[in-house]
Amino acid sequence: MRTDGYAPIREYAAIGDGRTVALVARDGAVDWLCLPDLDSPSAFAALLDAQRGGCFTLAPEGRFEAARRYLPETNVLETTFTTAEGVVRVTDAMLLADEMLSPARELARRVEGLAGRARLRWRVEPRFGYGARSARVGRRAGVPVASTGADAIAVCNWGVGEPELTPGAVSGNFEISEGTSALLALSAAHHEPMVLPARAEVERRLDATGRFWRRWAARRGYEGPWRDAVIRSALALKLLVHAPSGAIAAAATTSLPEEIGGERNWDYRFCWIRDSAFTLAALLALGCAPEADAFFWWLLHASQLTRPRLQVLYRLNGGDRARERTLPLGGYRGSRPVRVGNGAARQDQLDIYGDLFEAARLHVQAGGRLDPETGRRLADIAGMICRIWRAPDSGIWEVRSDPRHFTHSKMMCWVALDRALRLAEDGQIPARHAERWRREARAIAAFIESHCWSEARGSYVRCAGAQELDAAVLLGVLLGYGEPGSGRLTATVDAVARELGRGPLLYRYTGEDGLRGGEGAFTCCSFWLVDALARCDRAEEAAALMEQLLPLANDVGLFAEEVDPQTGEFLGNIPQALVHLALINAAVSCAQGSRR
Amino acid sequence: MRVRGALAGGFVGTLVLTTALRAASELGLTRMDLPFLLGTALSRDRGRAKAVGYLLHFGFGEAFALAYYGVFRSIDRSGWRLGATLGVLHGTFSATALVNILLPIVHPRMGSLLTGADSTPLIEPPGFLMLNYGRRTPLANLVAHTGYGAIVGGFVSLAR
Repeated sequence: MRTDGYAPIREYAAIGDGRTVALVARDGAVDWLCLPDLDSPSAFAALLDAQRGGCFTLAPEGRFEAARRYLPETNVLETTFTTAEGVVRVTDAMLLADEMLSPARELARRVEGLAGRARLRWRVEPRFGYGARSARVGRRAGVPVASTGADAIAVCNWGVGEPELTPGAVSGNFEISEGTSALLALSAAHHEPMVLPARAEVERRLDATGRFWRRWAARRGYEGPWRDAVIRSALALKLLVHAPSGAIAAAATTSLPEEIGGERNWDYRFCWIRDSAFTLAALLALGCAPEADAFFWWLLHASQLTRPRLQVLYRLNGGDRARERTLPLGGYRGSRPVRVGNGAARQDQLDIYGDLFEAARLHVQAGGRLDPETGRRLADIAGMICRIWRAPDSGIWEVRSDPRHFTHSKMMCWVALDRALRLAEDGQIPARHAERWRREARAIAAFIESHCWSEARGSYVRCAGAQELDAAVLLGVLLGYGEPGSGRLTATVDAVARELGRGPLLYRYTGEDGLRGGEGAFTCCSFWLVDALARCDRAEEAAALMEQLLPLANDVGLFAEEVDPQTGEFLGNIPQALVHLALINAAVSCAQGSRR
Repeated sequence: MRVRGALAGGFVGTLVLTTALRAASELGLTRMDLPFLLGTALSRDRGRAKAVGYLLHFGFGEAFALAYYGVFRSIDRSGWRLGATLGVLHGTFSATALVNILLPIVHPRMGSLLTGADSTPLIEPPGFLMLNYGRRTPLANLVAHTGYGAIVGGFVSLAR
């Protein structure tokens, strides 16, 4: 059910091809698609402006019910519409290129009559440049084409009625009966001529795309508990991998709100250094060695321009520009501003160095090695951490208030120096300054223990001298700050669950962050809690919490950034990599815990 | 105008070009590393790739110097200014077509415009004008190649 033209965020499924991702609502509308890449301007953005964003609708006329699933172990979406007169199945996928001349990007929608008959209506109305430019519509070789400037979309169609061309849109309606099928395929071009495929080629690529995803999923080496959820998460992550570079986008969307009508709307189509350790851990645990290698290489390349300092986030192509600006769009259910770019890129966040060093350690642990130049650069970064860890920062949650001495940031600086020492002991990085790293790591630990622990709360707190709590401190357990099961860490796990928890969900922190309004529970924090419990040898509690969390996914197994604990509605960008990474790592920790 | 002048100019020019780009990288102006890009076509070991890449780069440097020599011979003129002009063309061609389009197609470990979810390249594609490797990459590349061309042209004109 839509509100003012907006489907609930929970109702979106994602399809993609390793370059871009389309979001398909339960009612059959493609409300989000950026072309040619995930971080390019949108062609369909009804998600952010139902009137002017542009969309691709395909649904039965009149009343219908819809049931959805991904074809098993694929990113091919199947929606079954049931009307009073019949049953129709729509299969949606972004197609992978084959050895034939294929479109640069291709979205296919196969319609099959399963029972009785049904009348369907479709409409392709692209608005390029985040809704700024409506398309010029015409025909090329008899095929309807919507184009503007360097972008063009051919609306290839077979058996979907006679297309009607109106200003800015191509539409049609048709009847389908049991045993018959029709096909719509969008062939997109950017800075190059369009490719107009034949129906047989599209059908073949659609089937081949399903086979590729099944093969890819079958190679994932995870046989622990909750396998279906883990594999779905792996498939969701694979959609967010920018195939040309190996970078992983934090989510497929921008500006889906953390509070309906609020201002906490951010662009997540960048790769965050913060996610690197989780990414490496999850990819390696799932047997995705090529993706893990590609991501680590990307990490080394992207961070070269700004070294020894790291930028918080980088573009998917490795660039360092992420200038934040607002778009003149209405916003999801009036949630403005709609932002592209992300100002957090220029923040100081000390925690990212811990993630980088943990990623390097995981790479080495998996059999990789660091070449001498990379080793020298990491040693330089370790030296810089010794100089800067005493400074306040904006922290993992990228607060827009004044910088503070966040406990999690200090813990991650400790993690960075700890991993630097281990890498030096393994001969992977120069050990000349190891004694200094050891001394500073001890100083960081002393700072945390004396300033970031509250006897009154019985917990590590959000920042030095404060009494607020922060779920990010759970990462101290996950990344090995101190000893797992130590008194203070165990007490912190309990305090976070008790104080920040709402049922199985966790808010990420208490206290101000420089922004107006509130937000939902932060989904990944709940999976971090599962992970922390498992690592503290509390396997039964961890498993019980996991069982409560997994049903909170939407009907196709995806999670958004946040969940409203009162209504269960999704909030924030979707699908979010960090949640799915946390889910995978929590499941792996539980599996390892049960083996201990 | 002797071919040995072109070969000597190609060697010195490549030395200068490589050093200039390396310095630009160390100064944080660009992430472009031509020996690395070339070497990783043959090896996924980062250290070995760079060693092989330097050899290949000097080989290509000599090959381009011979191509410059061919142009000088055909118009019966040479000199550092003409060489620098060819260097500008060479740098522009390498940024727009050679490294941007042709290298990703033949490089087994580099992503391209055609890369999809069914492959996992290790190296990001350079993009138009190699801008993916940093905003100042086109400038660094053009300056380095202009210097290379000037040196080749100068050496050819001196070797009479």
